[in-house]
Amino acid sequence: MFRKKKRTAANQKKNEEMNRITHEAVTLDLLKQATAKMDDAKIVQRQTNNGASFSLVYIQTLIDKERLNEAIIQPLLQSGDQAFIQCISTCSVLRIHSIEEAKEHMLFGAVLIHDHENNEWWAVQLENTLSRAIENSETETIMYGPKDSFTERIEQNVFMIRRRLPVTELKAEKFQAGSNTKTQVQMLYIEGIANPDIVEIARENISKVNFDLILEASNLSAFMDDHTHSLFPQFMQTDRPDSCAYSLGLGKIVILLNDTPFALIAPITFFHLFQSPEDYVHRWVIASFLRTLRYLSFFIAITLIPLYVALTTYHYQMIPLQILYVLMESRSKLPFTPFWESLIMLIIIEIIKEASLRMPTKTSQTIGVIGGIVIGQAAVEAGFASKVLIVLVGISAIACFLVPNYLVTKATTVLQFLILILASFYGILGIAFGLILLLAHLNGLSSLKQPFFAPVSPLYWRDWKDLFVRAPLPWAKLRPEYLKTVKKWRVSKGEGSE
Amino acid sequence: MKTLLSILCILLVFSGCSSPYVENNTVEEIAPVTFWSLNQGEGGKFKITTLVPPVTDEKKRLFTLNVDLLKQGKKEFNLKFYRELKNGQLRMLIINEKLAKKEIISLIDTILSDPDVSPRLFLVLVRGSFEDFLEEERKVQKNLDYYLYRMFRHYERRNQGEMSIVNLHEFMEKVYSPYSDPVLPIFKADKDNFTYEGTALFNENKYVGLFNKREDQMFQLIANDHYLKNLPIPHLNVSLGQVRSKVHMQVDDQFKTLNIHVKLKGRIDEYRGHRNILDRSEMNRMTHDIESYLQRETAGLVKETQRLKIEPLEVGAHTLSPLVHPMTRREWLDHYEKMKVHVKYSVKIEPLSL
Repeated sequence: MFRKKKRTAANQKKNEEMNRITHEAVTLDLLKQATAKMDDAKIVQRQTNNGASFSLVYIQTLIDKERLNEAIIQPLLQSGDQAFIQCISTCSVLRIHSIEEAKEHMLFGAVLIHDHENNEWWAVQLENTLSRAIENSETETIMYGPKDSFTERIEQNVFMIRRRLPVTELKAEKFQAGSNTKTQVQMLYIEGIANPDIVEIARENISKVNFDLILEASNLSAFMDDHTHSLFPQFMQTDRPDSCAYSLGLGKIVILLNDTPFALIAPITFFHLFQSPEDYVHRWVIASFLRTLRYLSFFIAITLIPLYVALTTYHYQMIPLQILYVLMESRSKLPFTPFWESLIMLIIIEIIKEASLRMPTKTSQTIGVIGGIVIGQAAVEAGFASKVLIVLVGISAIACFLVPNYLVTKATTVLQFLILILASFYGILGIAFGLILLLAHLNGLSSLKQPFFAPVSPLYWRDWKDLFVRAPLPWAKLRPEYLKTVKKWRVSKGEGSE
Repeated sequence: MKTLLSILCILLVFSGCSSPYVENNTVEEIAPVTFWSLNQGEGGKFKITTLVPPVTDEKKRLFTLNVDLLKQGKKEFNLKFYRELKNGQLRMLIINEKLAKKEIISLIDTILSDPDVSPRLFLVLVRGSFEDFLEEERKVQKNLDYYLYRMFRHYERRNQGEMSIVNLHEFMEKVYSPYSDPVLPIFKADKDNFTYEGTALFNENKYVGLFNKREDQMFQLIANDHYLKNLPIPHLNVSLGQVRSKVHMQVDDQFKTLNIHVKLKGRIDEYRGHRNILDRSEMNRMTHDIESYLQRETAGLVKETQRLKIEPLEVGAHTLSPLVHPMTRREWLDHYEKMKVHVKYSVKIEPLSL
């Protein structure tokens, strides 16, 4: 109890100290102290043609040096009798009072101007706007449809979304996350469509993030996830502005971070992870076929190798005689059991996949060839793996990549290993057990407190129009039921039907 | 953890697995036999024969044992061979005619109750020595067992109309149903040949006779596949192709008469007679001759079943009707034996097929 009292007193003292520092008036000495050992920080003293002296404090790596001279120095030098603030017309100018304010503005690319005569401090925003150009999305490539993708600049990203949704209802709330990174976060949603409860949950979650470094979208989602230990992402990451605009239109929330080209979309369901923007480009029958193929591929990816192990180790009765003939021939001289053979081959495939992903493009192609052909063929010829397994591993590896979401692709790999281990102990029963556990887990997940396995569980029949089958767009007149949007209708005739 | 364990327990109980331990059946360590051939042995025992190693390209040996019990045979095979013989891929059970005449139901029951064996196992009767055929043929044909299985599978699929192919499930279903008797294909085996002889007839579970090749064609048309790819009638110098039949059977209320009306459709595949079949009246006469021939043959076939007091044609099923207590098998067969049989054929020959 005494310790608690002591701790409270210490905290109080600390807060007072913090307040004192925060509200301490800005002085040149304090700024010099703050920028000590920062070689890129500059403090320059000049005089106007009228004899009035002023100081400029800035970090030269953060500001636009070319504009410094023409927008600040030259106008100030020739200011004459004019007040400093009136000379600078091309940039936004803000009066500052405390040292904390001064530091924050300086670190976000402002030039601080000190008027010696009046002892006033001004911050002129002169941020270096260096950024890469808008390019094609590399993580979610599509044949048809918009090609632009997000960049590292949040303003540019918000612009790309706003251009697609030119409505005043599109709200963008600003937050800051990361005590050291002070990353700018913007939460976008359409007022009047998005469920206010979900917006409030997201707002609260972002505000609660307490960490020093928030460098990219995954860092933020890690603090906002409802289930930290799950293999499945509870926020969808995308670098496509069209996906964000579509999600916003449905009533979801988009979270953008500065310095990262990926946006977070929530709430999502397990089935969203299998949807591609191209689904809405293709004819609905083709889109439905491709979508079903993705679900099937996911199932193949997690069960094909475990099934091989279960059948060749325990359930030879279930193998058609023609295939058994091939399997027995293929496995007759192998030194490993089906489980070890599969495990080794899967690990090798993962090594090749990781290597080709991390290496430069040209090298990764070589690694692909060496891995796929040389190692595969050599393993069979050396008698380490059966031909059948090489084929199955190939199919399973390719099936993995049919899932459009890269994070799910990686989750698939881990799931495959887990089910493989169960299959090696209990055969088909182990696989069934693994799949039941997976279903139970998916059923228990949530994204921004909304059910992750909807519309299957809980059952929302209406949303099945855009689940396994992508029904024609004219049929999708209502927004997803699981999002509990304010406006249900997507067509104007039903405006009143809320 | 508690939830996990309870889910596991529920899974084990509901899937019928009393033990969580699974049997090790690593494919390269076992020898899954594809057929067993059963024959009469010495001293009241029976002979069980198989080819090992099965399903591989290795050189094959013929294993024969004289045993009292099937499972005893299985165990003793294992003691003789370097891989464990498993019967989870048992696809054919070849039974000798002489053994079938005695009693085969207990043997088939043993196989039926083995959870490893699929009920789609083909049952075949053999006249002659199948072992001799195997001994000679394995020198020429490396995967003889596999090819035999493929042959049965081929004729089973889509009722090819060439031979009666019966699996374990179908056989037992007919054994235990009161108005039908099972049939099996019967083959003649000697050193050089393995030839289809016709359909073996059973009285409940005992082999009592057979339909020869000619009768077998009628049997396929009226009771089995209702289809024949080819129906040669040498007597009329004609061969019909793509023959399909629709059979309508009627038993009168007093169980005195059986009327069989068969609508048959086909085309002339081959004709070596002297009639001008392009002429309509000649063609009508020819159709009439075919009908008379088929009626005669079918009536003969039905009479044979009456004589043997067996029900491979499942006529008894036509006596069943709502609100009427079904007869016992014995009562029905007593009626059936004495029944008058009228057979009528309506043959429709598709034009311009020649």
